[in-house]
Amino acid sequence: MNKKVIVSFFIGYSLLFAGSIYKYEQKLLHPVAEDAGRLLPIAVKSIKQAEGEKQLQDIVRRANKTGDKLSIAGMQHSQGGHTYYPNGTVIDMKKYKKVLRFDPQQRTITVQSGATWDDIQQYINPYGLAVKVMQSQNIFTIGGSLSVNVHGRDIRYGSLIDTVESFRLLTADGHIINVSREENEQLFSLVIGGYGLFGIILDVTLTLAKDELYEKNTRMIDYKEYTSYFKEVANNPEVKMHLARISVAPDTYLKEMYVTDWTLAADQSGLAAHSPLKEDRIVAAPKMLLGLSRYSDWGKNKFWELQRVYMERGNGELETRNNVMRSETAFMEYENGSRTEVLQEYFVPVNEFMDYIDDLRTVLEKEEGFNLLNITIRYVEKDEQAVLSYAKEDMFAFVLLINQGRSSQEIDQTERVIRKMVDVTLDHKGSYYLPYYAYPSMEQLHTAYPRSQEFFRMKRKYDPAERFINLFYEEYGK
Amino acid sequence: MNFRRFILSQSLIMMAGSMIFPFYVLLLRNVGESYTQFGWAYGLFALTSAVAYPVIGKSADQLGDQLLLVIYTWGMAVILLFFPLVTEVWQVYVLQIFMGLLGALQKNTEKTSLARHVRKERAGQQIGAYHTWTSVGAAIAIILTGYIVDFLTIGTIFYLASFIYVMSGIILLKKPEQAASQ
Repeated sequence: MNKKVIVSFFIGYSLLFAGSIYKYEQKLLHPVAEDAGRLLPIAVKSIKQAEGEKQLQDIVRRANKTGDKLSIAGMQHSQGGHTYYPNGTVIDMKKYKKVLRFDPQQRTITVQSGATWDDIQQYINPYGLAVKVMQSQNIFTIGGSLSVNVHGRDIRYGSLIDTVESFRLLTADGHIINVSREENEQLFSLVIGGYGLFGIILDVTLTLAKDELYEKNTRMIDYKEYTSYFKEVANNPEVKMHLARISVAPDTYLKEMYVTDWTLAADQSGLAAHSPLKEDRIVAAPKMLLGLSRYSDWGKNKFWELQRVYMERGNGELETRNNVMRSETAFMEYENGSRTEVLQEYFVPVNEFMDYIDDLRTVLEKEEGFNLLNITIRYVEKDEQAVLSYAKEDMFAFVLLINQGRSSQEIDQTERVIRKMVDVTLDHKGSYYLPYYAYPSMEQLHTAYPRSQEFFRMKRKYDPAERFINLFYEEYGK
Repeated sequence: MNFRRFILSQSLIMMAGSMIFPFYVLLLRNVGESYTQFGWAYGLFALTSAVAYPVIGKSADQLGDQLLLVIYTWGMAVILLFFPLVTEVWQVYVLQIFMGLLGALQKNTEKTSLARHVRKERAGQQIGAYHTWTSVGAAIAIILTGYIVDFLTIGTIFYLASFIYVMSGIILLKKPEQAASQ
């Protein structure tokens, strides 16, 4: 090889090397934030890991000087950009997860807000205690769960807000304050269900329940029987948790239902034997069938039938409260470059159920391209403590899993169908859940949440500089 | 001495390759996010190699192993500079095609070099020694990378590996003088 070639290679290589490093640094300087919905990737200024109270205070105070915008993130399973903002700083709370205090006698626990339900379950299970209200899955952080005011399978302990004794909040001016029903009580009902707009929740004190042994039973019913069935369930104090599914398979579309109840087991002596916490495992058959149901009607029918076999096999099974509250998630994970799976959740008064389903079916039967994969139904008790409360009466909550493309055309297509569904929901005196992609219109938001304007006004009262901001606020709050 | 240099440069190649491999898989996964695309990325690699082998085989006899190996090492050094910058799946596909070409170059030339260097009657022992040292290189790289990755970004690993490839090329280039002095 002659010298000229070698020398020119080295010159070229050095230039490329320097150029590549420069570009790479640029890329590191502007990380892209994205949530579980994967429809809104956006370049942010930086992502900072929460380390301690002082550090968080410094971040807020420095931002007040520099004018930086702050967003707060946990597991980022909200899907409408609630955890980031263009060119803002994302504060990632996941590592801020210590258990600060635990009192088994009083049944209370104080945890830093980045702790997940799983962290709490691992900690309290040996003491025979359990969480009162949480989502069906345990992967979420406490701070995030409070901010979106979650609900779950439990039908006896009211709503999440009922189980919160107090929390500490790092406000927009950099102060740390106690918030409870007695202290700074206005913020109590704003921050819970506040989507991270009022400050950083530092730590939370929750009340706990006794761990118990439940017997699980599932059966199939027609949707017309469901309201009366549920009323029986609600009147039977032995039933502690409840979950239903309604078919999205073409053969039984929005007609057949599987209803599952967890009833206090007559014999509690087996509690200790059942108390070890189960771990998430991948169940190959449901994963494959869910995969098939993404692509075909045949798959949807088979998936629905298989769920029946799977559930009937589980009838009479004993499970502890803690284990009921750590349901499998791995089989639902979905990885695809051009498509994604989004959630919607609608709340409809218990008595409206049957008419609502009929109207929903009429709308959806016309939407052939709309790929609806699953609907689960839970119960939420009337609770208007949170300013952004969705439970204006005793409601059924419908969680819809939708498979959709990520192109702007496909987003528009989904928006059109979702707005129709929201209209049907609102016609039945219902509301919808806010942690998802901003498909619903501003008008729909105001109808579903009559206090939404008050909410955003209060946001600006407590945080006049709009230090804490996210895409949800950008879309609906400004 | 000649054969030693060859082994040394090949060990460095194995080191660099083993360093980046786990992160390379991670990168493909992050960018592609679907197993279908993952499959395609590797499929393209293998396909390009398949198409390239006949040409490479012939040119090894015409141009000589040394030149081809230098092209391989420096080609890899350049390609690796692009990896930290990848954001789209099509970019991965393009890189995979180049990697397929270069990979074929390396595999073929490694074997032709061995064939030309080893003496038939001691082939087993010599090829054994070759694999010993290249595997030692790979092992050292994998273990060390495990330690340093905590302190460096993934990008840095690619830059480091790129640099090692350049070194490996330089060692190969020195070969003729060494051979002449023998």
